[in-house]
Amino acid sequence: MQLLLNVENLVKRYAAGQSFGSREFLAALDGVSLSIQTATTLALVGESGSGKSTLALCVACLERPTSGSMWFDGRDVAALGEKQQRAVRPQIQLVFQDPANSLNSRLTALEIVAEPLIIQRRFDKQTRSKRACALLERVGIPAKKAGSRPDEFSGGQRQRLAIARALVLEPKLLILDEALSALDCSVQAQIANLLLELQASLRLTYLFITHDFAMAAHLADEIAVMDHGRIVELGAAEKLLRSPEHEATRCLLAATPRFHGAANLPEGL
Amino acid sequence: MTRRRPLTRWLIALLILHGVIACAGFFAPYDPLEQDRQRPYLPPMRIHVVDKQGHFHFRPFFYAVHLREGSFDQFEEEANTTVPMRFFVRGPRYHLLGLLPCSLHLFGAENGRINLLGSDAYGRDQLSRILYGGQVSLLAGLLGAGLTLLLGSLVGTTAGYCGGWRDEFLMRVAELFLALPWLYLLFALRAFLPLAVSPLEAFLLVVVVTGTVGWARPARLVRGVVLSVKERDFVRAARGFGASNVYLLRRHILPETTSVLSTQAAILVPQFVLAEMTLSFLGLGVPEPVPSWGNLLANLQQYSVLVSYWWMYLPALTIVPFFLAYLGLANALQEYAEPYKIEGRSDDSPT
Amino acid sequence: MRYLLRRMLHAVFLLFGVSILTFLFSTLAPGNYFDEMRLNPQIAPETVASLRAQYQLDRPLPVRYARWVNSVAHGQMGFSFAYNSPVGPLLWVRARNTLLLTLTATLLAWALALPLGIWSAASLGRLPDRALSWTTATLLVIPDLVLALGLLIMAVRSGWFPTGGMVSVGFESLSPLNKLRDIATHMTLPVVALVISALPMLVRHIRAALAEVLDAPFLRAAAGHGIPRRRLLYRYALRAAANPLISLLGFSLGTLVSGSLLVEVVMSWPGLGPLLLEAILARDLYVVIGGVLLSTIFLVGGNFLSDLLLLWADPRIRTEAGAE
Repeated sequence: MQLLLNVENLVKRYAAGQSFGSREFLAALDGVSLSIQTATTLALVGESGSGKSTLALCVACLERPTSGSMWFDGRDVAALGEKQQRAVRPQIQLVFQDPANSLNSRLTALEIVAEPLIIQRRFDKQTRSKRACALLERVGIPAKKAGSRPDEFSGGQRQRLAIARALVLEPKLLILDEALSALDCSVQAQIANLLLELQASLRLTYLFITHDFAMAAHLADEIAVMDHGRIVELGAAEKLLRSPEHEATRCLLAATPRFHGAANLPEGL
Repeated sequence: MTRRRPLTRWLIALLILHGVIACAGFFAPYDPLEQDRQRPYLPPMRIHVVDKQGHFHFRPFFYAVHLREGSFDQFEEEANTTVPMRFFVRGPRYHLLGLLPCSLHLFGAENGRINLLGSDAYGRDQLSRILYGGQVSLLAGLLGAGLTLLLGSLVGTTAGYCGGWRDEFLMRVAELFLALPWLYLLFALRAFLPLAVSPLEAFLLVVVVTGTVGWARPARLVRGVVLSVKERDFVRAARGFGASNVYLLRRHILPETTSVLSTQAAILVPQFVLAEMTLSFLGLGVPEPVPSWGNLLANLQQYSVLVSYWWMYLPALTIVPFFLAYLGLANALQEYAEPYKIEGRSDDSPT
Repeated sequence: MRYLLRRMLHAVFLLFGVSILTFLFSTLAPGNYFDEMRLNPQIAPETVASLRAQYQLDRPLPVRYARWVNSVAHGQMGFSFAYNSPVGPLLWVRARNTLLLTLTATLLAWALALPLGIWSAASLGRLPDRALSWTTATLLVIPDLVLALGLLIMAVRSGWFPTGGMVSVGFESLSPLNKLRDIATHMTLPVVALVISALPMLVRHIRAALAEVLDAPFLRAAAGHGIPRRRLLYRYALRAAANPLISLLGFSLGTLVSGSLLVEVVMSWPGLGPLLLEAILARDLYVVIGGVLLSTIFLVGGNFLSDLLLLWADPRIRTEAGAE
């Protein structure tokens, strides 16, 4: 199995506020390195403000890192120009946390899912509609709801819609930025299972960003823990959960609520 | 949708009001430039249904008027000459909506003149002048507001979307414009351009001047919307699909500005109509003989007119229903966009 | 106090910017004061040329601007061609008259609007509020041109009020008390017009600001503590609503000089309005620039004043400013 994504020493600094004279910088990413193998899931766990979302945007080529390299499918995408990056972007897709924010409420479900095809100018109108409908069915949204607007769907259905949209360009890597965090517990489980099923049948690679260790354990093969813009621990999921090494990891694990009879957690937790 | 009902009501009201003015030729009995030197400053003629002998007539009628003996501005009715009011008569030719030549008028008389709202110094029918004047004033207001909103959108979108120095620079300039007193700027700008021009040139100047003065506030509002929409995830997602800037603006960002723009339109159009009226009133707008609501009021600046000829004030009242309808529309639009906001907490600060 | 200095610097920059802008506008104008003269065959072209040189209209723009700034510093603000005198004193006399009108009108308007707005907000949705809303909506719909003209006609036909000017003929020979009375009667109509045109917006804004505060949880908590309604309204709600009200006050003050232009022209009140109009029509350059500058000073000053008041009244802004 090869590496689909290999990030080395990624740094992203933002200029934070200006007073007369000095310019302060906020280092959102302070030398991040990680890699994901094809058709596996890497979970990125960390507290709010640890830099997870910034990393997601950089990997998706929506933000330019200040320095460092990023190898995707054999090419260094961090060094590419804007036009070339635009060609790479369709292969890496994002699913955001809040579907209310990530879906344009003025468009219908069909339009939302078909939009990437329109932007990429693929196929004609009919084929686009057919593909979009097929994807909607695939994620569990009945075809008759294709003409409804996002506010006519439930939270879980909206997230399914967002996933469908992310899949329409047949990406290789799917970044799920806290994609399950805003959903009810039962719905979380459903969507998680959908994601697993899609990964198996479409050979997708996931970068799953979350602050929920339990969910990470359920979905991921490897877990990376992030703290203050750095990866502090990285390893196979089972091993990390059983014997965490870094302080930050232990804190996060300790904060995970434990329920009697919880079926998802591996033993020993 | 119950939220839509007041909105449609006001839109219909506005449509009717504008429709009447647009079809001024039909509703006005005479040509606005047609003079009648025999009857200057005629007071509004009275409608009768019962004649001097006490007989009832189904068809309303007027009495012909002539100058009283020995006076040069007092009119009296002639008891034996009745002027019946006829409907759907053929009268002076006009162009309906500027295109179709037509000569059908809503009402008129065959054997005399009917001046429902009196006449002016040259004997021109006030009602006709008010209706035609409305075309000039309303059109000036609509075009001026349209120009301002266009400029404001352009500036606001550029500032909001591009950010950086462009944003800084444009907003500083906007601040400058906002610091200038609007009315003064309007006058100064208009007066610094050639004064003695033809009515059409004057009209265009009024539109251009009013349009270029008021862009700062809409620009700010549009910028605000663009800034907030730019950060929404669905815009990020679209960029993730490889969308170009033009696509993002066209498909996602600009449609979000429509609600702000339509509310601004409802607020600005009456202000711009008023601006044209003020300019024309003071001699800086559309000149005679073309009527506009503003220059119809201009001769009220003469004391003699104020004292003796009160009906020359009537053109001032015609704008009131328009203001009312636009205000209602603006409120309804705001209700529609933000149903829980308390009225008054908006950007319609007094200019 | 860096915050205050920054705001002041900002205001000064704004004023400079405005004056430059106005200067630019005026030079782009295709005509000037002496065009009329030039058309007059009785005046020799050399006279016109020498007059122009005297007033230095043929010097390059930056030079003119520099000289003008210098003259502003000396209180003269340039020279009026029509009146043949420095602009400063001219403006001052007229501005005094205008301020007499607008200060009275603003004070009255606020004195009426505050209680009305408070009453409206306190009885939100019920009869007094609805009646007031209806009245303000009706008044809002009447533009000030229509209002001023209407009042004038009423004055003329009823003979109760003088129909123009600030003083009657023979003013000088009146006793001081009668002089006051004379000015007061002349002032009545313009002030009424100004108050009626300002009142609806003020009431609406005050009502809105208060209504939003009255709905706040902290106020309901205070009511739950048993604080009497009147004290709630005045000591708690009004204070919390101070911010938008102070901004509104700043705006009212800012338009003290420019807001009465139309009313003054219609009612022949010898204020800044008619002077400016006249100057604009005659292309009396420096008077126009001076007038625009003066009203901008008031606008900017009004904003600055409200910034100051906000700093004093709102501790949140104080801490934010102090943190800079």
